[in-house]
Amino acid sequence: MSLRQLAETDLGLILEDGSTGFGWPITITDPSGNTNTDELLGFSDDIAQIIDPDTGQAVSGRLASVAIRITRLTEVGLTLPRGIADSGSKPWVVEFNDINGNPYTFKVAQSNPDRALGLVTCLLELYA
Amino acid sequence: MIAELIDKQDNFEVVRDQIAAILATEVASQMALATTAGKDPDDWKLRIFSERSNPWEQLLNEQTDRSPIVNVWFDNSNFDPAASNISERQKTEGVFNIDCYGYGISSDEMGGGHNPGDKEAALEVHKALRLARNILMAAEYTYLGLRGVVWQRWPQSITVFQPQLDGRQMQQIVGARLAFRVVFNEFSPQVPAETLELVSVDVMRTEDGEIVVEADYDYTAP
Repeated sequence: MSLRQLAETDLGLILEDGSTGFGWPITITDPSGNTNTDELLGFSDDIAQIIDPDTGQAVSGRLASVAIRITRLTEVGLTLPRGIADSGSKPWVVEFNDINGNPYTFKVAQSNPDRALGLVTCLLELYA
Repeated sequence: MIAELIDKQDNFEVVRDQIAAILATEVASQMALATTAGKDPDDWKLRIFSERSNPWEQLLNEQTDRSPIVNVWFDNSNFDPAASNISERQKTEGVFNIDCYGYGISSDEMGGGHNPGDKEAALEVHKALRLARNILMAAEYTYLGLRGVVWQRWPQSITVFQPQLDGRQMQQIVGARLAFRVVFNEFSPQVPAETLELVSVDVMRTEDGEIVVEADYDYTAP
């Protein structure tokens, strides 16, 4: 096994260990309404951040993202998520709970796949 | 030494507060008019603040009120010596920034598709700009309700800032600025006048010597 393949295998151990690691259950729905067919674990982030909309005065904001192993996406029947700009289409929807069990729903605003390592990071927007 | 306590607001403060008061009053009035017209008054709602620089916590996603936020703040002023006098009055041209913040989140469209949050935020901030400019430039506020102080008001420019792409946020916020120029008078403390001499005038009719006008003047130093 090459070092690169070993890194991809390790990625699975790092991202998808839900018992002793940081793996966290995530539900993804594609624009056609297909949801992951099996449990999907990955990293999820939801943190507060200060933003400046260029007025020079700060606004409290939140930054949310998920990181998922690409091979696992294929295994659960999904393709690579991406941001959908067309308002006539449904977006990719990502759902996960925070650490206290509160559910949140997001849409994928931007997808940053790392095809060398097999990792996709999705930047999320709140979705109501 | 200046003999009196300077216990007043300068007119740039008065004008700033007046702009915020006009916006707050008229927004409430517009909401009432919208209700009367059978429309949703929340579409006319703006939350007006003055000289605030704390982070806008109210734009976090937990909030239920998504109406735009408007912050009125004094930016700068220039004095025009040609139209002033050196002792009492300074003609001032001030710029007051009316910053608007629109908030949007993406939402599902029942009939298909979705409403993108970035567009939602942009439309919200455009609405805030539209209301603010229309209110302040209405004929009722030609002198901002401060005739004698305000010479002229004018919307100098509108700038809508590009949303940041770095560190993309989960909620969309677009900022915009209406730079509002107001020309007004500033006044400064004066030397208390001292009576130097009393001037008395009698105007008499030549024919019969009848006094038709009699007046006393306290002649004071200029």
